[in-house]
Amino acid sequence: MNEKIEIIIRPLAFILLATILCGIIFEIAGFSAILMFNSILDGAFLGSRSLEKSLRWALPLFITAVGVGISFRCGFFNIGAQGQFYMGSVCAVYVTEYMSGVNAVIVIPLGMIAGMTGGALWSLWPGYLKIRYGVDEVITTLMSNFIAGLILVYVTSGPLKDQSGSGQQASTKILPSELRISDASGVSLTIILITIGVGITGWLLVNRTSFGTLSSLAGRNPTMLKYQGGKIWQLGLASFIISGMLAGLSGSIELFGPSGRVVSGFLPTHGFTAILVALVASYAVIGTAFSALFFGGLFSAALFLPIFTGLPTSAIDLFNAIIALLITARITLGTNFLRNRWSHPHD
Amino acid sequence: MTEVRKDIPAISCRDVSVSFGEVSALSDISIDLPLGGIHAVVGQNGAGKTTFARVVAGIVKPDSGSLLINGKKIVLGNVASSRSTGIELVHQSFALPPSFTVAEALEYGSGGGVGFFKKGDLNNRWRRHLEALEMDIDPRHLIQDLPIELQQAVEIARALSSNANILILDEPTAVLSPSGIAGLFKRLRRLRDTGVTIVLVLHKIREIWEIADSITVLRKGKLIDGPMELGRTKPESLTPMIMGAKDFKENISRISDENSDNKVLDQKSISTLPKNKKHALEIDGVSTETTDHEVSLENMSIKVYQDEIVGLADVEGNGQVTLLRVLAGLSDISKGKIKICGQEATHLNLSKRRLLGLRIIPFDRNMEGLSLTSELWENWVASELAVTPLIRWINPMKIKERCKISMSEWDVAYNSPEQKASDLSGGNCQKLILSRELNDEAGMIVAAQPTRGLDIGATNFVWTTLENARSRGCGVLLLSSDLDELFKISDRILVMLSGSIIRELNPPYDLEKAGRAMVGESG
Amino acid sequence: MIEFHEFLVAILRSGTPLIYAALAGVIVHRSGVWHLGLEGIMIIGACVTIIGIVLTNSFIIAILSAIIICIIVSILQWFVIEKLKANQIIVGLGITGIGIGGTAFAVESIFGSLAAISAPFGIPRIGDTFGPYSGLSVLVFIMPFAVFSLWVLLLRSRFGLRLAAAGEHPFAARSVGANPSIMRLIAFCVGGLFCALAGAELAAGSLQIFAQNMVAGRGFMGFAAVIFGGGHPVGSAFAAMFFSIVSVVGIRMQIHFGNFVSHDLLLCLPYIATVLGIWITARAKGRTNSASQISELRVQ
Repeated sequence: MNEKIEIIIRPLAFILLATILCGIIFEIAGFSAILMFNSILDGAFLGSRSLEKSLRWALPLFITAVGVGISFRCGFFNIGAQGQFYMGSVCAVYVTEYMSGVNAVIVIPLGMIAGMTGGALWSLWPGYLKIRYGVDEVITTLMSNFIAGLILVYVTSGPLKDQSGSGQQASTKILPSELRISDASGVSLTIILITIGVGITGWLLVNRTSFGTLSSLAGRNPTMLKYQGGKIWQLGLASFIISGMLAGLSGSIELFGPSGRVVSGFLPTHGFTAILVALVASYAVIGTAFSALFFGGLFSAALFLPIFTGLPTSAIDLFNAIIALLITARITLGTNFLRNRWSHPHD
Repeated sequence: MTEVRKDIPAISCRDVSVSFGEVSALSDISIDLPLGGIHAVVGQNGAGKTTFARVVAGIVKPDSGSLLINGKKIVLGNVASSRSTGIELVHQSFALPPSFTVAEALEYGSGGGVGFFKKGDLNNRWRRHLEALEMDIDPRHLIQDLPIELQQAVEIARALSSNANILILDEPTAVLSPSGIAGLFKRLRRLRDTGVTIVLVLHKIREIWEIADSITVLRKGKLIDGPMELGRTKPESLTPMIMGAKDFKENISRISDENSDNKVLDQKSISTLPKNKKHALEIDGVSTETTDHEVSLENMSIKVYQDEIVGLADVEGNGQVTLLRVLAGLSDISKGKIKICGQEATHLNLSKRRLLGLRIIPFDRNMEGLSLTSELWENWVASELAVTPLIRWINPMKIKERCKISMSEWDVAYNSPEQKASDLSGGNCQKLILSRELNDEAGMIVAAQPTRGLDIGATNFVWTTLENARSRGCGVLLLSSDLDELFKISDRILVMLSGSIIRELNPPYDLEKAGRAMVGESG
Repeated sequence: MIEFHEFLVAILRSGTPLIYAALAGVIVHRSGVWHLGLEGIMIIGACVTIIGIVLTNSFIIAILSAIIICIIVSILQWFVIEKLKANQIIVGLGITGIGIGGTAFAVESIFGSLAAISAPFGIPRIGDTFGPYSGLSVLVFIMPFAVFSLWVLLLRSRFGLRLAAAGEHPFAARSVGANPSIMRLIAFCVGGLFCALAGAELAAGSLQIFAQNMVAGRGFMGFAAVIFGGGHPVGSAFAAMFFSIVSVVGIRMQIHFGNFVSHDLLLCLPYIATVLGIWITARAKGRTNSASQISELRVQ
């Protein structure tokens, strides 16, 4: 039971620590930390309609983070969510392009399937290289993010460029309203239902199938699983595919939902934040929901910070980064640290 | 060069204790190794030999005790301090960065400072050093391209590059071929004659007699005896000291008592063995490719009937690990056949072999047997899930219930199936593994060191379990280096040496005979 | 001919920051850590240099403070990885986030706006004697010497061998009395210095401007160059140079041929090359040196 409490306490402690560190930085920079945290809380969760605004960011984050968690839990450090997210949206936008005029009931599901396939394929090649040749997945998925980013730039400024656009940022044409599953607020019944569906499926997969149990064992001790006759390559490929699929789904939802189009370099921190969301939740699906809501809230508050407190939006990036810096630290009540520190001097 | 006095021991350690977490690796060891000569430190895995070597070399800092080198007290747990007194350690798995050239590997530890060099000068300098040691190695070669004997030679050359007067070698023969060992021993004798004190950590008894001047025996972190002069002792009497018969004579009488009880039964069971009895396991002429880190099997054949326990006696490092990996399908075999419960299994993977009834209790229960950071029920159900399709519906509640029942049956002391396996003691971990592996469908059990590190109660439990499995019609192959254990429960014992079976022993067992067989002597 | 000089100037301009970043990555890489914080520390270097010039009107003070702050942030990264035993990948990404978020935050709280800051002057130029290259900064001129010095330090000195041993086989390093942890600290400090130079050259080399997120992935590209160059200082410098040639060629081609060849897809080349590079290495060696392996070694 201790473990379960720790899973909740630990991230909260790190968030608190990050809050204090940020508070100090903000005070030094001449802002009122108290006022700022108040307004974050207000902007993210307490203010009128603020929860809805937080959900707009939390829903896609949750979907991507569930996938990231599945891959991490299996012991594969797939940090390519950003690229898979982009590839999902690119594939979906191609479907809308080639099927323009077809009934939305067909186009939207097909677009999402295309998005999931695109994300899965974009995750599959690093996974294959890892499992077949032992090529480290951290490098390949990192590179795959940049390649996907450039493909996105190419698509939005080349073949599918919206010629009528103002030209600030290259983007595709905005989708006709019948192809949209939400307005710009990004919160609609469809998206919520999809998210809940992903959550339930993910939870079942992790907690109610042999895949969930085996992948957790594989992540913690692959040697033991080998001695049980477990097929780690199957687990690995499946987890790469699932995480890619979910990131791709998230990308296609962004297209059909709040954005309505694909913009060059949109949501550049989505993948990184999703990794944080999964890490903070210790890869548990229910925990991921809360942590996605938290980071989604921060994101939405960030957009309003400058208005209320004069604090720049970047303050939230800083806050997220400090959490990232600390979240994987293996500190157990400081004792280890002290022992390391003081054991060096010789007699 | 430090001043050398004949009457002062080269290494003198007093009351040295080391523990890693809760495991005590060395407890209150006091040893004086005299100056000059070749001193063997022997013992099984986990006896604390390597820890002893590392304490002397300053890599491991002991919890208590003191260490005098050539009569001078040195700072504990400080490599630089140990090296400055002339101690050099050659590691078991060589501590040489694989991508370095020979010259670089010799250079990097040879002094402090920034130390700029020119490539040509560096190679020439170390070529001269290697030539002086009569080692025929090109300093420009990469470490990773060198055969294992030469890597070891480089380590020795590195150790001798500063004025070492005490050279410690940790299991130097473990990775060498017979000709490599001969070469090494020649080199060591020459070094001894130049006045270097050599400490050899070994576990092969035959080698000790070939090379050492004195013997020190460690077991379970305690000093058993030593240093004894070689003339004072015999190989046969060393085996029980190393392998755990606490009191030699008492042990012999105990074993013969037990055998006299079992003898009738044993004889009977052998005589009534029907000719058409089935084999649970047939290993037929299996060989493996020679690799750097595993002892290869050579034309190994083992047959285990469906209701017998076959002991495989082996001083560690003679191929036990390879055999287990071969049976688990984790190492490839170059020729030979494996049949499990009468079915061809040579090319099957482990999950298919499990379906045929093979169960494996691996050597290292914490790494290979369990996932310590996972929950008990996950560990328990792993074998069942591993052989099913990738995504299958499960109900953890029911699994936990079954796991609870099973764990109670197997007498595992636990609080909740959701506990981490790391919470359990060693004995309970092993019981958990048994409860997972030994269900009714087991037809052939391969148990590797199943009682290592367990207390008496848990040990007896494991033995009874294996005997029960036998009476259920299961074949059991017991890989062990503990003679007490082998004598107690095996129906016959095969002796393994350097990857082959060299002898079969039948009850009543004779300790002396077993001891001689295990060091490779006939008769 | 003039065209060629222009081309070379463009390559040197865009390549030099990349090469400095790659050098920082190389030394840290050899000590056993993957430096994914390059991007963040580099942008801090860029930001501090420009702010320093604006506030103090002195290039020397600006560059020195950039170096000091970059080294401090590098030490922070080392501390969290080495002493708090945190995952080096996530910490690296976190440092990147701190760099990008922190510099934007600093600019806004000092200048009160997000707009790009321009400095009155930048890094001193190498001068008219160099003809068409006179507009290049001193740091471009120093760059080959930096590559050479790092090569000597890492591959032609006992210190360099100890550092590599600490990364490749920490146990071996420890058994000859070298402390791998201290080796990594030194590597991170030198890395901080090179990151500062990379950032300074990027911001004050030709533009004299600092804009939000102006590093725009160059740090990661530097990391890719380290991997592509196999952790060798000269190899990685050439890899970085190759990356910058690709991007300059891409821009030129777009100017000359319009959209006939896509500039963006051409820019994928460095990343694809990196993936192919480690794939080939992995096929040859059996597997790559993974970060998890390294951290496993460190636990001993």
